[in-house]
Amino acid sequence: MQIISSTGVKGGVGKSTFAVLLALKKAKQNKKVVLCDCDVECPNDYLILNQKLKNPEPIYQEFPKLNKKKCRKCGLCAKSCRNNAIFWVEGQYPKFILDLCTACGACWISCPYGAIEKKKVIVGKSFINKVKDNLWLFTGKSKAGISETGPIVKEVKKRAIEFAKKINADYLIIDTAPGAHCNVIHALLNSNKIYAVTEPTPLGAYDLEIILELTKILKIPTEIVLNKADVGNKKDIEKIAKRFDTKISIEIPYSEELIKAYSSGKLEKMVDLI
Amino acid sequence: MKIVVASGKGGVGKSMLASALALLFSKERKIVACDCDVDAPNLGLWLGITEYDIIEKISTSEKAFINRKKCVNCEKCAKVCPYGAIEIKNGKIEINHLLCEGCGVCQLVCPKGAIEIKPVKNGEIRINTTKYNFPLISGKLYPGESGSGKIVEELKRRAEEFDNEITIFDSAAGIGCPVIASVRGSDFAVLVTEPIPSAFFDLKRILEVVNYFKIPYGIVINKFDMNQRISKKIERFAGEKLLGKISYDKKIVDCIVNLKPVITSDSKVVVEIEKIFEKMKEKIGEKN
Repeated sequence: MQIISSTGVKGGVGKSTFAVLLALKKAKQNKKVVLCDCDVECPNDYLILNQKLKNPEPIYQEFPKLNKKKCRKCGLCAKSCRNNAIFWVEGQYPKFILDLCTACGACWISCPYGAIEKKKVIVGKSFINKVKDNLWLFTGKSKAGISETGPIVKEVKKRAIEFAKKINADYLIIDTAPGAHCNVIHALLNSNKIYAVTEPTPLGAYDLEIILELTKILKIPTEIVLNKADVGNKKDIEKIAKRFDTKISIEIPYSEELIKAYSSGKLEKMVDLI
Repeated sequence: MKIVVASGKGGVGKSMLASALALLFSKERKIVACDCDVDAPNLGLWLGITEYDIIEKISTSEKAFINRKKCVNCEKCAKVCPYGAIEIKNGKIEINHLLCEGCGVCQLVCPKGAIEIKPVKNGEIRINTTKYNFPLISGKLYPGESGSGKIVEELKRRAEEFDNEITIFDSAAGIGCPVIASVRGSDFAVLVTEPIPSAFFDLKRILEVVNYFKIPYGIVINKFDMNQRISKKIERFAGEKLLGKISYDKKIVDCIVNLKPVITSDSKVVVEIEKIFEKMKEKIGEKN
């Protein structure tokens, strides 16, 4: 199975459009395809595919919960927490500030009295939609207010990989969030190939360099998809491609028809664009 | 007064609008613009800045390091790492710094004291004076590093050091860690959307965060004329929270290509943004 990711630092450049087009194209070629929307903060692929999210499965993380009967107010938990999520004053029970907690478990490992228990909390959900006989969509969605979304990405991707292996899929296509921090890194890891989607504007060029630096660190072969290729100046993008020893492998022209197809959930008729 | 521009979805016009609002405000009050998108700091480009004056490397993240002399490769650390960042390669412990969050759980279980948690330089802070006589503070997270939310918090601290009345924060896309850090503590949020289903959906996502922190807000529909039907739908949804609408104009693309702020161009959106600015001031005034 090939794992192919669609990514880019800048938002709104067409990452999801490209990921969906690629999935539809491979499906049209009679391949078995699983598309996994790893933009768990703002998942949009299901809207583009005109789907209603189905088959929800909760995603949990374990957060600390104090058992006051066992706690001896020693403060070791607060000292072990590197996120300053535990507030402790001598002689008092520790207070857990869950907004700052990353659920790493340092507190329950360091507690000598087993006074910190684990409480399962739902941090998000994953969904599976059968879009066609040979195309499935996995969607991750974080609960609003949850700060650390990397673990949610990791879990939905794990579920998608397991499913893709079970059905013997030919392709797993990953659509990432914009940006370049942990939620994007988790989505990109283990990809066989990355497509960095961008636009021919100074913003697109600036952001392309950032994502290419990241994929270089990740050591994953990366090629460029230039969206709205005919709108701005392609030369700057070509220069960057050369510097990173890669190329623009796909160009998508600006097209009002594409925008309309995107908005109405009918991208299928546009697959020949890529 | 802290005003944050956010959207959930990327590429809907946050930085364009933030730069325009900053310029308009700078004519009346002392302001600071603060680019909180540390993954893709683009506000500077909208204000004509391509090179930065003050660059200060900062460290808001920590990572685990192994002392090979002490490590006996017992693998206890690998078993407890909550991020799967510790692997065994050829019988030796290896820490993958791309995954390590510096939580220190490995250090807690190591029987030989072979693991140290050390700060790493994960990003930088840049401070510039724009051509329009107000400072721009921006940050950058180095590729592959973690701690973006903490860089945003550091940026906000720096912004407070200026003697200013208004700070405009330009948030990243999404609703996770760096966005929460940008939005938290703001007095007013300007939420930007476009008349496409995904942007409308993402507007509702960012609203959940804004409401979670109980921040007053207003909504702006960018490129409203691209789809009048969805635009009307968003208008109805926004009700009295609607600050205004901005047309689609190809001249905006020319602005960014020439690194020229939108508000200094002859685009028809200038008048629309000025109206939004006045409406926003009314809303903020109402609150005070």
